[in-house]
Amino acid sequence: MITTGSKLLVGSAVAAWVFAAVYGVAQEGALGTIGLVSVAVALSLLAGLNVFVRDSNVSAMEPASFETAPAAQATARSSLWPLLVGIGATSLTLGLATVPAFFVIGIIAIAAGALEWIIQGWSERASADRAFNSEVRDVMADPVELPVAGAIGFAVIAYAFSRVMLGMPSKSATVVVFSVVGAIILAVGVMVALRRGISKSTLTGAFSLGAVALIAGGTIAGLNGEREIEEHHDTGYIAERNECGTEETEADEKASQTVAGKSNAAAAIHFDGTELTADVPGYDGDFETLQLPRSNPNNILFYNESDHHARLVIELHPAEGTDGPERLCTALVDEGGVQLLTVEFDRPSFALAADGEGYAFTVPGSDAELEVVVP
Amino acid sequence: MNSLASLTEKVRTFTMSMSTSRLRTAVLAGAGTLVLASCAQDAPQDTWAPAGEYAQEIHDLQWPIFMIAGIVGVIVMVAVTIAVVRFRDRGQPIPEQSHGKAWLEYLFIALPALLLAGIAVPTVATVIALNDTDDADCIVNVTGQQWWWEYDYPIAADGSICGFMPSGEAAPIVTSGQMVIPTDAKVVIRGTSRDVIHSFWVPKLNGKRDMVPGRLHTWNFQADRPGIYAGQCAEFCGLSHANMRMEIVALDDADFQSWLDNQLEPYQSPEEGTLAAAGEASFITNCSRCHQVDGLADADGNPIVSQPELQVWSGAAPNLTNLMTRNTFAGATWDLLNDDCRDEVWEAEPDIFGERYLEGVTEECLNEIDLREWLRNAPEKKPMYADPENLEETDGLVRGMPYLALSEDQIDELVAYLLELK
Ligand code: HEC
Ligand SMILES: [Cu+2]
Repeated sequence: MITTGSKLLVGSAVAAWVFAAVYGVAQEGALGTIGLVSVAVALSLLAGLNVFVRDSNVSAMEPASFETAPAAQATARSSLWPLLVGIGATSLTLGLATVPAFFVIGIIAIAAGALEWIIQGWSERASADRAFNSEVRDVMADPVELPVAGAIGFAVIAYAFSRVMLGMPSKSATVVVFSVVGAIILAVGVMVALRRGISKSTLTGAFSLGAVALIAGGTIAGLNGEREIEEHHDTGYIAERNECGTEETEADEKASQTVAGKSNAAAAIHFDGTELTADVPGYDGDFETLQLPRSNPNNILFYNESDHHARLVIELHPAEGTDGPERLCTALVDEGGVQLLTVEFDRPSFALAADGEGYAFTVPGSDAELEVVVP
Repeated sequence: MNSLASLTEKVRTFTMSMSTSRLRTAVLAGAGTLVLASCAQDAPQDTWAPAGEYAQEIHDLQWPIFMIAGIVGVIVMVAVTIAVVRFRDRGQPIPEQSHGKAWLEYLFIALPALLLAGIAVPTVATVIALNDTDDADCIVNVTGQQWWWEYDYPIAADGSICGFMPSGEAAPIVTSGQMVIPTDAKVVIRGTSRDVIHSFWVPKLNGKRDMVPGRLHTWNFQADRPGIYAGQCAEFCGLSHANMRMEIVALDDADFQSWLDNQLEPYQSPEEGTLAAAGEASFITNCSRCHQVDGLADADGNPIVSQPELQVWSGAAPNLTNLMTRNTFAGATWDLLNDDCRDEVWEAEPDIFGERYLEGVTEECLNEIDLREWLRNAPEKKPMYADPENLEETDGLVRGMPYLALSEDQIDELVAYLLELK
């Protein structure tokens, strides 16, 4: 009797030899033929080995053992997983014609369904004992199922909740809602913890209700769209619109743009109403100019220590034919305020000197000036 | 189980078959190699050989800690070995079990806690001391990029540079690869990066300091003796991270003054009709779009300004104004001096080192092989992202120096020209 495994391998080996022959005759180039012949040789070896050891299956020669095999004991139970695979296949086909998202969902559904189906089918043949089989299934599937389910659940909650928050009519409303929801969750948690006796169904009911409410709220809020969120203009925007004079701008006066930029800036520039001075890490007071590397985004902090609004401005003198900004400036900074300005110089100072120009930080409405040298 | 038993059996017969004398030879040979490896002669980046104040501070901290750790380690190993050998299973009955000894347990908690506390105090003190970058005698701006370091020297209010007054007019000095500093001076570097994170590390003079885009980090250096101190980038930064090296060159005061004055000498075009003059023309066409040579001017006398930001991803290429005053190139990875001349400088005694270093690279001493290979095809010599077919990610900008398809004649001219840059 030729065993099942051997049949498969013998068949594959024969097919590989045929393909190798057909390919070798029909196609040019030796590489493909060499590959196919190698495959055929390898498969022939495996087939020979398998025939020789009879699938390593001791019972193959003993028909009696088949009757006691798990597979012979119970028929497979019905499974819902093929349904998921079917839905996936439909979605995949639909996705080809319509939105790519359906295609991706289809692939995921097919993969998940097929995996689950395989695990179920395999576990039902694990032994003759149904209870044991279902345990085997859980051992295999739980490590995959539980984290995936947890991640999906968490993503749904986070996404729905964030939609609700962004849909609130104002920023203060979100703060209130956030606090109230947090307090409710805490209260429910405390109640559950104190009253051990709460029945499982009551709990499940409460949580399902919460989940439905959240998802519904998220859907409604998501469809309604986010509330209008005020845009904070950055220094580049202000500079582009050439609003670098003493006039007010809509920019957020206290914004210092990024937290990271505030630490380890290349220099802190202070304005006391008449003069600009630089406080530079490493320098200890005997430098009147600031030397900043070329083609490098240098972070500068502007401290307005005068008693009126002020902004820091620098002309960048970009090289001809480049599209960099002409000048950069901070927003109008409050008395006592700080703002970050990131400046990048394209040309060394000596290139400007030929035209009688130079780099300098200035404050419109005052004579303050701080020279910058770009080496 | 069976196979495990047979395996241990095999190992036993094998070790027994190996005569004790042979075993001893093997152990001795292994230990000997270890010992020899630990006292390598040529170890320019030896963290155990401090050559300045800051490295010394680190050293004064690390050797007692290593010693304590070593002693503790030996005690533990010996105790474990004794326990394993003396109390191994010889089929004796399981001894009576007792529940610990309180005073011993307290001791074993208190002892390591005390040790760690004892180590923590000087460690924190050293960390704080190393980070004190006030009171600099000399300031150098350091900018890292893939895969080389740039240095520029700011000018103080009184016109001095790095604490020295130039004989002529002061101007910013820009160099790369080798950072020249005065011996004994407290040098503070102000460092950042133009692309990714790099780390500035010259082990004989101080520990590492990361150089991070958008941030400015300061760090101290001080060298006791004139000489060249080697280092390398210590933060993985891409393809040629291994070829991103640097050197700190310490010169005594008089030599530093000469170096400074020489860096500020006005540019002089090569004499007309020479090979170098042809090289200058070739440099203007082929190189000066990336490389700055201060003082180089076009036919109308207008300064030629490089625009590396339009060519290179980091926005910079080395300033070559005084290329031949340094003696390594391309991230301090290759020598500009040939082997003989290199040894004369690198191995010079401190008292004559400065004089030798200031000679720069002469025609006789030039390491033509590596420099020519560089000009012939830079990305082949140093791995860089400079394949014009493969630059979508950087909008056509190269990282490193690209292949320039120069002819051998052009290379002759360029080498002659580069030799004049000092
Ligand atoms: C597209 C820009 C570009 C062009 C054009 C270019 N280079 Fe470079 N070059 C670089 C960059 C970038 C480096 C730094 C590479 C490194 O070390 O990783 C460099 C390094 C060098 C160095 C080593 C400098 C040092 O201090 O370490 C020399 C010498 C050099 N180039 C010579 C030339 C010459 C000569 C030409 C003209 C034939 C030329 N280069 C053209 C970008 C360029
Ligand atoms: Cu690096």
